Amino acid sequence: MRLLGALRRVLLTVPIALGVAVLAFFSLHLLPGDPVQIMLGDTKTSVEQIRSMQHELHLDEPLHVQLLLFFGHLAHGDLGTSIVQQRPVAAIIAGAVPATVELTVATFVVALVIAVPLGLVSAIKPGSWIDRTMLTSSLLGVSMPAFWFGLLLILVFAVDVRVLPTSSQIDSTIALERVTGFMLLDSLLTRNGAALASVVRHLVLPAVTLGVVFAALLARTMRSSMLEALRMPYVTTARAKGVAEIAVIAKHALRNALIPAVTVAGLQIGELLGGNMIVETVFSWPGLGRVVVNAIFAKDYVVVQAAVMLYAITYVAANLLVDIAYTFLNPQLELG
Amino acid sequence: MRRGSWVIVLAALLGLGPVDATGAAAKALSFVLDAADNRANEAQAIVAQLGQVGISAQVRIWKYAVLLDQMKAGQRAAYMTDWGSAYFDPFDLAEPKLTTGGRGNFSFYSNPAVDKDLRTASSTTNEAMRKAAYLDAQKAAYTDAPWVFGYVLQNIEAASSNLDGWVPAADNGETVYGLSHRGGDSIVVGMRTDSIGTLDPAIPPTRDTESVLRNIFDALVAHTPEGKVVPQLATSWRKVGPATYVFALRSGVKFHNGDPLTADDVVFTFERVITPGAIGGKSSPRKDLLGPLARVQKLDDSHIRFEFSAAFPEALVLQALVHFQVVPQKYLEQAGEAGFVAKPVGSGAFRYVRGTVDSQIVLERNDAYWAGPSKLKQVVFRMMPEPSTRIAALLAGEVHLIQEVAPDLVGRLQASPGIQVKTAEGTRSYEIELNNKMAPFNDPRVRQALNYAIDWTPILRDIYHGYAKRLATAFLPSGFGYDSQLRPYPYDPAKAKELLRAAGY
Repeated sequence: MRLLGALRRVLLTVPIALGVAVLAFFSLHLLPGDPVQIMLGDTKTSVEQIRSMQHELHLDEPLHVQLLLFFGHLAHGDLGTSIVQQRPVAAIIAGAVPATVELTVATFVVALVIAVPLGLVSAIKPGSWIDRTMLTSSLLGVSMPAFWFGLLLILVFAVDVRVLPTSSQIDSTIALERVTGFMLLDSLLTRNGAALASVVRHLVLPAVTLGVVFAALLARTMRSSMLEALRMPYVTTARAKGVAEIAVIAKHALRNALIPAVTVAGLQIGELLGGNMIVETVFSWPGLGRVVVNAIFAKDYVVVQAAVMLYAITYVAANLLVDIAYTFLNPQLELG
Repeated sequence: MRRGSWVIVLAALLGLGPVDATGAAAKALSFVLDAADNRANEAQAIVAQLGQVGISAQVRIWKYAVLLDQMKAGQRAAYMTDWGSAYFDPFDLAEPKLTTGGRGNFSFYSNPAVDKDLRTASSTTNEAMRKAAYLDAQKAAYTDAPWVFGYVLQNIEAASSNLDGWVPAADNGETVYGLSHRGGDSIVVGMRTDSIGTLDPAIPPTRDTESVLRNIFDALVAHTPEGKVVPQLATSWRKVGPATYVFALRSGVKFHNGDPLTADDVVFTFERVITPGAIGGKSSPRKDLLGPLARVQKLDDSHIRFEFSAAFPEALVLQALVHFQVVPQKYLEQAGEAGFVAKPVGSGAFRYVRGTVDSQIVLERNDAYWAGPSKLKQVVFRMMPEPSTRIAALLAGEVHLIQEVAPDLVGRLQASPGIQVKTAEGTRSYEIELNNKMAPFNDPRVRQALNYAIDWTPILRDIYHGYAKRLATAFLPSGFGYDSQLRPYPYDPAKAKELLRAAGY
């Protein structure tokens, strides 16, 4: 049952991805501005040259023809060529995805390490100083602008104390052979210890910047769902049966309390996988967020279409994983 | 607050029209000043100043691409714009901006005399005539005042004090060949962009792309930081006709892969640019930088002839050639377009080692460079779009040279030990363009009044911390044929009011 449900959900991503690509196509065309003009800026160019470039890029064709061309390419497994960068879109996206995925994973680790123990402790001891500190600081974490917090971390840990690098993914003196494009993975695969250490050091500040916001949300969700679970009759029953408090919390309460937390985490991961343009800019991180925002400003339709398709697939996949996690946490639930 | 005042505040916020405190709205000049968000403060200051001469203006902030569309459609009245020049010649600034129907003429300015001057300047090889034409055009533009003429900003860059021989370039180019680093033999350059886009010299979208490319590839001629043209792969050149030039090629130059650089490579480089569809089916977006270039021919192993379809001044030929780095025909044809961009091979002072266009590009010294090897062994160009991060990285000693320092952060950097800050005059004009076809700005007196009504001194002092210079017209001091006698419009509110009164306001 589980497998069949999952398969149906996976197949569902295809129409969803195509649907958002079409939506992105039309909404970008509604915006004013011509990609060729934007790309050329104030480069010396004649009107004829601009016309011929628009023609080469099929920008002078009616909208439905352009859309058909896009689907034609897609049917051949080709995402097209970026208007501005004149590079295959697949290569542009594939170049940015590993950086974003690594940052997402690191962010998730930071968030879990902070949020799970804090959320649990403050739920077990509501009103304690830990609980009050957690509530206040998580409010701060949620409301703090990432831009400001990231720069603050850079100033303290890279400029004043100098224990971590300010930005970028790896030390420029280290040569890392490209195998998968994922730097953590590549440094492990090629057994490059220096590269691994450098990559991890470079990950810390951006992961903490994003992770603190994530942790704040997660800790608050953990706390409230855990508080609720601890008041449930089955917990009282368990206690009355004489089950040790630690087992009551870990076995009976936590498992049920995790369901809302997994939901929040799934949505957050979906969002993180889209790339955070602001944090990527602050930390000179070559991720997906920057690629997509720049493509929107430059009206590089082709890149935006491919990116939103990827976003749609990512979200559906993240939700699917969340639902699968539900069925493990509560076997009564089934994948719909 | 009473209900009535709320309505006024709301109306003002929505930009529904001028709210004149005196109630004398009858003949007051009022308009909306459009600006992109990077110039919002400046726009507010200008509007406040205009208020003092009785002009009621409101600021509207736009995304530039959207504003561009609207102003090109002639739907806006006054807009803050800027335009850069890559030629050190009005050929790609005054010409596109002031010629009737020019690509950058967003003010819809049209003066047949100016058109004729600008046409002359780009189609005669007589330098004296070119200069006279430019001087004439400046005087006419000054009087017609199609814009509120603005200013040119300085390029502010900073570097470690251990870096010797460093001079920031007027065109933001970062050519590091002549630098030496007392702290070691490698440097990291913090670039202001988040991606240089490509490593193909036939399609560099920005100056930042060119910055990196000029270290990997050489062109026939190159710029000094001040914009003077000097020989690079060409040793000399001569004009053999008004539309024909012959360049002598330096002998013994080798590409990084060991192949000799030949006249065929030079011909191939330019054919790739001027032939439609020559770059994997697409045309080079840079074709028109070469003016009316029709054909490039190899005369013998060391001479190449450039034929233009119309007379083209030598100064413009040279300024254009600076932007076209020579690529290796054999390697490019073997590797294919994608292979070439993934691992470019040039003949410049540094060879490409690794990196990507949106993170960092690592280059190493070309020991066989024709002018002798650089003192630097390794150069890294790191893309750092956030200005504060660039400064942090410079302070932390991670990078040794950074582009584009914000004027308000110069003080902080100058006070830091081990840092040097230098400036170069930029090549970009910032202005307020007025819609010359639409009332009220179809009346030259109103446009002149605006030029008199704005006091740029406090704006340039407070917003740009003095790292800016007033312009009298659309011509830059760094460009050929600049009229240094022509003074910018002075701040004269009385004169502005007089002109407005004469125009019926």
